[in-house]
Amino acid sequence: MRLLFGYSILSLLLILFSCKKEEVGPQCKNCIENPIIPNSDNKILIINEGNFGFGNASISLYNPTSNILNNNVFQQANNYPLGDVAQSAVLFENKLYIVVNNSGKIEVVNKDTYTSIATITSLISPRHILPINSSKAYVSNIFSNQIQILNLSNNSISGSITTASNWTEEMLLFNDTAYVCDMKNNNLLLINTTNDQLIDSVKMGVQPNSIVIDKNNKFWILCDGGFNTDFPKLIKFNPQTRNIEQTLIFTDMNSSPSDLSIDGNKENLYFINHHVYKINCTDNILPTSNWLSNNSQVFYSIGIDPYSNNIYISDAKDFVQNSSILRYSKNGLLLGSFQAGIISGGFLFLP
Amino acid sequence: MLTSKLLAQEKIDTINFKAFTVVDYAVSDNYTTTKMDSAAVASSENLADLLQHQSNVFVKTYGAGSLASVSFRGTGASHTRVLWNDVEINSPMNGQIDFSLYPSFFFNSAELHHGASGLIDGNGALGGSVLINNFTPSYSSTAKPFSLSYHSSIGSFGKKTNGIKIAFNQKKDWFLETHLYHSRAENDFTFKNISQKNHPEEKLENGNYFQYGFQQAIYKKIKNNTLGLRFWYFNSDRNLASSMVVEDHQENQKDESFRTLLEWKGFTKKWSYKFSSSFIKDNLVYENKSIDLISNNQSMLFTNELNSKYFINNSSLFINKFKVRYEYALADGVTGVKNRLNNTWLTGYTKNFKTLEVTVFNRMTIVDEYQNLFAPSVSAGYTLPKIKTLLLKASWGINYNYPTFNDLYWNPGGNPDLMPEKATMSEIGLKYRSEQTKKFQMNAEVNCFYSLVDNWIMWQPSSSSIWSPTNLKKVENKGIETSLSLSKKMNQLQFSFKGKYAYTKSTNIELYQQINESLNKQLIYVPEHQFNYTMEIGIKNTQFIYNYRFTSLRYISTDNNWYLPANFISDIALSQKINISGNTKLHLSFRVNNLFNQTYQSIAWRPMPLRNYLFNLIFQL
Repeated sequence: MRLLFGYSILSLLLILFSCKKEEVGPQCKNCIENPIIPNSDNKILIINEGNFGFGNASISLYNPTSNILNNNVFQQANNYPLGDVAQSAVLFENKLYIVVNNSGKIEVVNKDTYTSIATITSLISPRHILPINSSKAYVSNIFSNQIQILNLSNNSISGSITTASNWTEEMLLFNDTAYVCDMKNNNLLLINTTNDQLIDSVKMGVQPNSIVIDKNNKFWILCDGGFNTDFPKLIKFNPQTRNIEQTLIFTDMNSSPSDLSIDGNKENLYFINHHVYKINCTDNILPTSNWLSNNSQVFYSIGIDPYSNNIYISDAKDFVQNSSILRYSKNGLLLGSFQAGIISGGFLFLP
Repeated sequence: MLTSKLLAQEKIDTINFKAFTVVDYAVSDNYTTTKMDSAAVASSENLADLLQHQSNVFVKTYGAGSLASVSFRGTGASHTRVLWNDVEINSPMNGQIDFSLYPSFFFNSAELHHGASGLIDGNGALGGSVLINNFTPSYSSTAKPFSLSYHSSIGSFGKKTNGIKIAFNQKKDWFLETHLYHSRAENDFTFKNISQKNHPEEKLENGNYFQYGFQQAIYKKIKNNTLGLRFWYFNSDRNLASSMVVEDHQENQKDESFRTLLEWKGFTKKWSYKFSSSFIKDNLVYENKSIDLISNNQSMLFTNELNSKYFINNSSLFINKFKVRYEYALADGVTGVKNRLNNTWLTGYTKNFKTLEVTVFNRMTIVDEYQNLFAPSVSAGYTLPKIKTLLLKASWGINYNYPTFNDLYWNPGGNPDLMPEKATMSEIGLKYRSEQTKKFQMNAEVNCFYSLVDNWIMWQPSSSSIWSPTNLKKVENKGIETSLSLSKKMNQLQFSFKGKYAYTKSTNIELYQQINESLNKQLIYVPEHQFNYTMEIGIKNTQFIYNYRFTSLRYISTDNNWYLPANFISDIALSQKINISGNTKLHLSFRVNNLFNQTYQSIAWRPMPLRNYLFNLIFQL
């Protein structure tokens, strides 16, 4: 009798568990998933890297006017996850190109509905995409001695440019030349975009990780100095003369500045070095104090809305939970904060 | 003579030689242990599979043939010590082993020591320890002078396993045993890839493996002593299937292990002793063809141990375990050779007062610059005077886990300033064991545990976005472990049921660097509820087995926003024993895994096989 009773309970349990709605794969419990409203204006796209190997990269969408937040936008629109480690995204000719590093792919996405138009696959470990013209783009890479050339008309790989380096990072297009940060050999690579030939390389500091252009058409390149290898440097470069005009050297070898960004007027530069620092494009010394202290938060990424000049900063916390996004006015006033996805690593401000 | 209580306890762990007895280091009943006998071991494929079916520890697996790790009571995988015939085999690089690389064919029994009892096995058992053992030869006059068994299994997705065991019992004082083993699988199962556009049906690529190994034992009895040498070689070559969200990375891993153990056991009137010397060498080569990466890792452990038990009188005994260990690693991830001495001395005392048994232990340790002279454990067990079958027990203990070579020296990121992790463990429980003579037997146990792990080491991106380990947090683990086993014999019919349930609440209670949403949340990949049972119905030589496992949701983000849903898996098996003649026997079995064709993930985006089959044959001579 006792046995029978025990067994009936267990059977009951089995049935109970069997009846649960079928869910497979990672699920989000508290993600705010408001319906996507196509064509609503002034969107801020947050690229959440996710954890390497966890496959939890995602896209969050924020409307600063209505204050509406959408998490997990890609999964919602496409019924499959974005992939493993979303590295960066650009908007080009009304399409979003989302580079998913460890999935080795670029998702080409409709900018209003967020549905996937095409998936460019077989990229090794893509980092950034630089559209050159309506039919061509470059893709930088880690673990590959190549910059891939994409054919944007049919979303395929059409060729490659061989580099001496196996780690290329941020890129910038100026006139008909592409400028590529070479993290491995500490160069700025110059590529002629008409014939896709490498034309020159200019020595930078150790590990140039980000590049922006200011209102005077000068480039600013931030070199993090590697892991205790060299002092980090902020370099001002003149693309016309191909000369370095100014090198600002950080005093602490242990620091690792990253994420150089510029505001809408192309005048004020911001970067993260634990805290947020700000420098004007006319300055010739590094700021001695921070513009915004992290208050023991883990500042991971920064973006400046070119339309409002508001500053968005992500706090990645312990890197295994949703990041907080902090909104600041250009005067450093906290406007608000909200939760995006895991390791928010990039911002894209849509017109 | 020993008191009946001590004797009863020894029964399970003692090896009875003809005319003499060597006492192994039995862990007191006051602690929580799980014992898996040779039948349970033989019914499983490997150590990961065994623990998944027969225990309530959490087995985290990347899928068939892939990396599997084990954790006790909400702790991490590196908080589980693994011992082979009492020799610790955790890698000095990461403090773990891959449980999928230990085929059950190579050992005879297994035992789990939960919580504070792990201190008896060594440092670092902050959750518990897993012991796999080979039988010490019995030298009994009834033992067959020669025995042979052939094991063969064939299963879904190209799985083929073959093994031969040969044993000689010569002149009753020599014992020789040889194991030969070979296994392969394609693992090209079909799954629905829900991580891709339109959820296509895909075949798992690059999941195939090839393993082989052998083990040789030579034992000689000399009066009251036995001297033995065991050598175990194991080789595994496997491709590592990528997760479903990424394109195949063409990863491969080759593991090669050489394990040599020399042991000398014996006893005098009041002493029992064991000296062992072991040498373990592991080579691991990881290759990622898509990014042209090859990483070589070599590690060695040279351990010398002297263990003794002194019977002061018939109710108390004194235990000593000295261990001198040399750890060595040469790996691409760390610069240059890393080595250190890891020496410990465990001393313990057990006293039995009729209905009350008390044990006290302390472990002193010196690992490089780390020094800890005080890591104690105490336990007490009280047999209720009215109900002799009921034991009330409690234990408490402290154990330290010293940083691994990877934690200290990984380049870049290794942190030489790490402090050891410290666990303070306590538990109380009740154990019921019915009279073993009756046709109906029932064993039941309930344990409530509470432990704090201080200075928990975690890897996180540091200021320079290099991943680096720090003593990050304090974790509280609490929960309940229960088990119930019933068996009933009615004429030709035998029925048995073994069920286990564990509730584990494992939370971050203190964060040393930044207060964030992970505070007071459940740790990732720790299920709150785990339940499994095995039911067996036997008629004569035919047996039907049903196994059910339920794992509740596991969080995969520290803020508990993301999770993997719960899963429940059922397996069934039908087995038939055939006596051909005399000692010649045939044992056939057929197993259906994942009977109800559940689609589930044990680790995010790692596909698991749907219903699959395994046919098993054992021929004994």
